[in-house]
Amino acid sequence: MKIIVAIKQVPDRDAQVRIDAAGKWIEETDLQYALNESDAYALEEALQLKEKHGGEVVVVSAGPERVGQTIREALAKGADRGIHIEAEDLGQRDALGVARLLAAAVKPESPDLVLTGLQSEDLGLGQTGVIVAELLGLPHATLILHVEKTDAGLTVKRELEEGWFQTIELPTPAVLTIQSGGNKLRYATLMGIKRAKMKEVRRVTAAELAVDGAAVVQLERVSLPQKQKSTQILSGTPKEAAAALVEKLKFEVRVL
Amino acid sequence: MIAFLPTLAEPEHFSLAEKLLIVALAIASAYGFWRRFGVVLHKILQSKKDPGFHLFPIGKRVWDFFWEVLCQAKVVRERPLPGLAHAFVFWGFCAFALVTLNHFAVGLGIGFLSPTGFFGQFYSYFAAAFAFTCALGILALFVRRFLVRPKWLGEKLSWESGFIALLIFALMATYLAAFFVADNSTAARVLWWTHSLSILIFLPLIPHTKHLHLVLSPATIFLSRGSFAQIPALAGDEDFGLVVGTDLTQLVSLQVYSCVECGRCTEHCPAANTGKLLNPKEIILGVRAYLNDLGPSSDQPLLGKYNSQEAVFQCTTCGACEFQCPVGIEHVPIIVGLRRGAVNTGTWEDDHGGKLFLALERGSNALGLSPAERDKFIAKQELPIFDGTQEYCLWLGCMGGYDPKGREIVSDFARVMNHLGTSYGVLRKEKCTGDPVRRLGNDLVFQQLAEANLEALAQNKVKKIVSICPHCVRTIQEDWKEYGTPPEIEHHSEFLARYASQLQPAMSGEKIVYHDPCYLGRYRNVYDEPRAVAALAGELVEAPRNRERSFCCGAGGGLAFLGEETGERVSHNRAAELVATGATTVAAACPFCNTMFRDALAATGEGAPQLLDIAQIAARSLPTAKPEPTAQLAVESKVPESESPLTRPPGAHCSYSGVIHTTALSHDAIETIQKAADASGLSVEIGNNYIEFDFEGRDSNQFVVEFLRTLAHAVETASGEFRCEVQVEKEDPLFEFFSIREGRLIRQRAVIVREKEEDITAGESSA
Amino acid sequence: MSGVLVVIEDRAGKISRISWEAVAAGQKLATALGLSLSAALIGSQTESLAAETSTKFSGKVIRVEHPLLAHYTADGFTIALHQLIQSESPAYVVFPHTYQVRDYAPALAARLNEVLISDVVAIAEEPAFTRQLLQGRLSGNYRHTGSGPCLVSVQAGAFRADAAAAGSAEVTVFTPTIDAAQIRTKPSEPFRGSSQTVDLGSAQLIVSVGRGIKEAENIPLVQDLATALGAELAASRPICDNGWLPMERQVGSSGQSVAPKLYLAVGISGAIQHLVGMKASQCVVAINKDPDAPIFEIADYGIVGDLFEVVPALTEAIKAAKG
Repeated sequence: MKIIVAIKQVPDRDAQVRIDAAGKWIEETDLQYALNESDAYALEEALQLKEKHGGEVVVVSAGPERVGQTIREALAKGADRGIHIEAEDLGQRDALGVARLLAAAVKPESPDLVLTGLQSEDLGLGQTGVIVAELLGLPHATLILHVEKTDAGLTVKRELEEGWFQTIELPTPAVLTIQSGGNKLRYATLMGIKRAKMKEVRRVTAAELAVDGAAVVQLERVSLPQKQKSTQILSGTPKEAAAALVEKLKFEVRVL
Repeated sequence: MIAFLPTLAEPEHFSLAEKLLIVALAIASAYGFWRRFGVVLHKILQSKKDPGFHLFPIGKRVWDFFWEVLCQAKVVRERPLPGLAHAFVFWGFCAFALVTLNHFAVGLGIGFLSPTGFFGQFYSYFAAAFAFTCALGILALFVRRFLVRPKWLGEKLSWESGFIALLIFALMATYLAAFFVADNSTAARVLWWTHSLSILIFLPLIPHTKHLHLVLSPATIFLSRGSFAQIPALAGDEDFGLVVGTDLTQLVSLQVYSCVECGRCTEHCPAANTGKLLNPKEIILGVRAYLNDLGPSSDQPLLGKYNSQEAVFQCTTCGACEFQCPVGIEHVPIIVGLRRGAVNTGTWEDDHGGKLFLALERGSNALGLSPAERDKFIAKQELPIFDGTQEYCLWLGCMGGYDPKGREIVSDFARVMNHLGTSYGVLRKEKCTGDPVRRLGNDLVFQQLAEANLEALAQNKVKKIVSICPHCVRTIQEDWKEYGTPPEIEHHSEFLARYASQLQPAMSGEKIVYHDPCYLGRYRNVYDEPRAVAALAGELVEAPRNRERSFCCGAGGGLAFLGEETGERVSHNRAAELVATGATTVAAACPFCNTMFRDALAATGEGAPQLLDIAQIAARSLPTAKPEPTAQLAVESKVPESESPLTRPPGAHCSYSGVIHTTALSHDAIETIQKAADASGLSVEIGNNYIEFDFEGRDSNQFVVEFLRTLAHAVETASGEFRCEVQVEKEDPLFEFFSIREGRLIRQRAVIVREKEEDITAGESSA
Repeated sequence: MSGVLVVIEDRAGKISRISWEAVAAGQKLATALGLSLSAALIGSQTESLAAETSTKFSGKVIRVEHPLLAHYTADGFTIALHQLIQSESPAYVVFPHTYQVRDYAPALAARLNEVLISDVVAIAEEPAFTRQLLQGRLSGNYRHTGSGPCLVSVQAGAFRADAAAAGSAEVTVFTPTIDAAQIRTKPSEPFRGSSQTVDLGSAQLIVSVGRGIKEAENIPLVQDLATALGAELAASRPICDNGWLPMERQVGSSGQSVAPKLYLAVGISGAIQHLVGMKASQCVVAINKDPDAPIFEIADYGIVGDLFEVVPALTEAIKAAKG
């Protein structure tokens, strides 16, 4: 089975958020980067499928030089090959633009399965996998927790709202977006890192892929949200405090 | 020489046939010895060389050899009676060196130590004395093994040990008996042959049994790694720790073949003592069995048939095993090596372990919390930031930065440093030192953490570090050396002990038991400094297992981050021991011990002793006002001692009692008073509008008066007063009355005025 | 191109609340830009849905019907809506941001050479659409610059459903052309999670009890609160150690890690071993009598008080609110 996993390098979860000079994104100097969380689960699912059915796992990622580090980490965890789409201007492209790059890089590989994470920790659009499926003309399913290979193709377990699930059967080749939490992630090992040094990472520039450019949706401006996280102490008699809390649960937390 | 004393019989006139027989048997025996010993030696030499092993400096090696091998110091000190018995057996062997040589020389007709000659006779008595004690020793050990049967020697009876004991006894008995027979008697001959056969049978048995230690252990002790629990560096791109046979190094092979199966390691192991699979002796013997069966060139995994992965991951790396071993086996590097082999190759699957590794791969601390939490703590406590100009960098560590108890320790230590006027700061950002991942064997994450930290310290120009956590201290000082040069670092107990004289005793009437943390005691040899600080709080008592024998709290080796333990909890076992000393306070010097004991002590029930870190004890002697971080604290103004005869004698016994009535107290006021009472160790009853307390004892440093000052400030105005009766030797007591007006504490001294004596034997006189 | 089209989603034959919120959002856009408003219903039998819709909606209601749309599939819905959009040419298409929409709307947008602006929390003048970035730590303003329709999905709770103005509506039927071979996925009937007795990991609401409860006999007090909320009951380690609740309910470093929408900590001080197990919760509420308890550092809402008084009061209040 040839599985391609599209991964994204995102700013560290605990990074300090400061708006940059242009006001269009956050200040990137001093930022630490890491592999997007649901992409890690996608990679884990791919590695488990490879362990069960044999084949190859190829990771592909788009971005500047620093993305190479994340590709190496994926190789250290067990992926066989990497493809680095060199692009300095990802921020100027919209989801369709990025998906076009990925689809162009992936198409010549003729994979059996393409996995992506459900959504990224930075932009959180959750669309790239679905758009790639559309561009490649492949069937897809989202919010997948578990993948099984069958004679006819794949049977996957999909998460629905409010604790419900469903299984979906679909043929290969296909695209799946993977939800976090379906598997236990494996940790990076010293042996993995040493072996990764000898694995191939092919570089291809965005220009070489020659895809359409102009964005149809643009992120114009970013700002810090009004509400900062602070503890609201609800005071008064037990009855008063309880009533205040119920208000919050109803309208702010929205669980009632 | 001394005619009336018996002399050793030396048979003469051995026939040629006998001589040939002697030679033949000797050759056969030597061959039998070499056949097995050669194999063992070959396996040891075939093993991988130890990278980073240095023979020099040789001074310590020579000393250890002298002290531990020749003087049998550790053997005797850690198990006195059996140890002494063994020492006599050993010394007997040493003394017999010349005897044995001469014995065979006599058989070949070329004896050189004539028992009638001056030196010969002296030497024969010398050897006889040792033979006697040796025989007694081996008899005692035989009784211990076969009749007393301590469980550390194993369930199965070792017949080979019994046989060897018999041989040794026979050797000594035949030697001693030879004093009482004539030179040329049949008896002498029989004794001679019995003695010879005993030796010739013993010799080939040595390499086939644990008596191999006779030959190997002097070398093992001489060739130790150089420091306690030293984890060797990995060498090259293909070294992942102890995965398969080819990873075993010469030192490891030498050590496992030296194992004498005494079980001292297991006897002191916290895991083995609480019903876990881990048995340090079995780990060593498992590796030995692997070498026997498969050899050092095998590619079969070391964990599996010969040792279980589960057992290896139950180790807290407390080092008690390595510390106890009389033949120089270094258990900790072997166990960590086996863990490395599993973790560095990804064959260890553990939910909690995986979570720990993933947290440190991405984040800065072992708890997986956001560094913003640490920033908030620093801001709230107003800790100074290290900017390269201060003398000390105060290292918070994961526990000090994120754990509520750890933070209390840091805050109190900071208060003490402020009081002492120490120049210090904390780093803006810290990453975990990597202790848990180092002990669990994840060299990838450890390298990342060590290198990042070393770079940050260099950039921040840190020269000296003080830390509240022995694990951080050990990792920074020793383990980081693999990746760079760490700055100087000391533990806060070493720091505080230097200033103990400036810190005054805080409480009286407390019984304190100090628990030696593994990473401060055995790992760093620091036993007295924390005790000096703990003693500030009262009277020190010792737990049965103390100092080098301290029993682990169970958190080390990364285990604090793994899941539930099987069997009895190590922390509960130790907590029960600490409570049984009758102490009212348990003093700790490690935030991990503190965290483990907090729940364990609470579980021992009502009346559990309070748990304090030594930093908290030290801080209690300070005035309760919050001092400025950088300014030197002015000496607290005390009530000037007047020259009045009503002045309290220093250290006098005082009896406080009384109740004051107040207006309704606010929640805050009650809190403040309660806190102050707790801090002073006073039992105070706070009602809505009254406060009552009593106290009996030495009002050291007038701490009760201090409490009353706090009370006055909180209460503002009250009616009533507290009375203090001060005992004065051989005189009437003095009195002090304390009342509170407008937030001020008013004291009125008083004295008993006696009137004239009246004789009222007959009744009241009319007057 | 003109008009605002709202795509309405139904669940088990009833129109979901978030769909009404999408209608409200659509209405806001339509009013601001002076555009007409229409709503689309998708399925194989949408008559009753259309009836329900037309009572609370003023504008055109389009029933997109086809036998192959009886059950949701990405292919079916994408093809159907694509054809509808080509037929109606709306300037804006508004969706509720549901799992279902996330599954097909991006593909639909790509087919139109557009990009879905997803999970919008606010719509401003021009129009500009506000989204949350970096998991809520940053806000971003988006503008549509393409030449086709602008597709937008709105976050649950961002717009108030009751703001949708009622009225009468015109109902039409649209029948897309779909071939069975075009539907490439075969979904099963939905089912509930595995039959574990306790699955804290997937619980959305958790009420957790700690040492403050003092005795085992008092736990039913907290259980009542959990039942009233519809939450799972969990506990900190000492409670499980004492055997007052089974080990599988333990949250913490040696128990489970949970990330529910609401974590209500009752009588829990917030020792680090417990915090690491629940710090990922979206909203933390703490009830504790010690105002300095570490749990308040990470709580979003806190009540400092005696839990034996607060918890019953809260249980009552919740029961009343739920009606």
